[in-house]
Amino acid sequence: MKLGVFVSDYTLVNDTLDRVGPDGLILVANGVYHATIKGSALLGKYSKLYVLSEDLATRGIEASAVDSKVKVVDYSGLVDVVFNDFEKIAWL
Amino acid sequence: MADIKCAFIVQKPQYKGETSRLAITHAIAYQTVEIFLEDGETVTPTLCFIGEGVLGIVKGQKAMDTYGITSTENHLMNCCLVDLNVYVCKEDLAKYGISESDMPDAEEMGADMKIQIVPMSEIKAKIDEAKHVLFF
Amino acid sequence: MGKLTIGCFPGLVGNWSYDFALKFAGAAKDKGHDVDLWFSGNASASIVAGQKHLKDYSTGEKYLAELIEKGVKICTCEACSIARGVKKDASVKGVQWNAMHWYLASIHGADRVLQIGGE
Repeated sequence: MKLGVFVSDYTLVNDTLDRVGPDGLILVANGVYHATIKGSALLGKYSKLYVLSEDLATRGIEASAVDSKVKVVDYSGLVDVVFNDFEKIAWL
Repeated sequence: MADIKCAFIVQKPQYKGETSRLAITHAIAYQTVEIFLEDGETVTPTLCFIGEGVLGIVKGQKAMDTYGITSTENHLMNCCLVDLNVYVCKEDLAKYGISESDMPDAEEMGADMKIQIVPMSEIKAKIDEAKHVLFF
Repeated sequence: MGKLTIGCFPGLVGNWSYDFALKFAGAAKDKGHDVDLWFSGNASASIVAGQKHLKDYSTGEKYLAELIEKGVKICTCEACSIARGVKKDASVKGVQWNAMHWYLASIHGADRVLQIGGE
């Protein structure tokens, strides 16, 4: 089943994400930095990547700074992602 | 809609916060969920411990003596008593030098169920087959 | 439309995951989905009534009331709330109080479940 995982931190303190092997990531809170900081280990691993626009704006990050592999969505768009792009979701 | 499978995955160690304990108590609540559901409908949780989540599940805990809190050990024995499936990652026990014989056991209390030590691949299979996954 | 169940364990103020849970619940409801919100752990203290909405402090009460008005079902873990000194007659109106099996029952009927852990 297609699993989408919310990533809410920049520093990943354990390897659970790798071991679980989700189909895509949803970057929120401090997880949004994965979408903008060069060299983030996550960007090359997953084909479905989303980042929450409100959390970018909260941190003073322009949408133009987001890596092209990551789709920017707002809360409303995030609801659609959760219901349409994944069959189950989890928060790490 | 009959049985809904849920995977409760504990990946944080116990005794710093209450999250790991709440995973267990929420999973145990499957026993009484039927009062809210139609006849024949059930929720079947599988409680899994991976990563650092395996650190605080050994026997011989004194949480009650020191802090007045029911130990994770006792909670896990209750899981066995209510026939809850508990899986512990074999690779992680080995990684942290924890012996499989250190797992709590409730057989003397009359439990039929035992904590099952399984490879991560089996826990991953439980995650895949579950309708919902909850990380703690 | 579907049903979203959110399990929210982080406490109010100081942990923005709580704020996320409320905003996400509201967004899903606005799109026509059914939404259940379960509070356990430190989140269960967020239902206390009479909160002062100070600037720079995230607040549960105002937003909880708005979510309830929209039709979001919110339930707190009775044991967790009582342990934190919250009294039923001094809590946000419309928030249900129940045991953990309420959450599991909500999960049973949900299309999507988002469990946001504490700490």
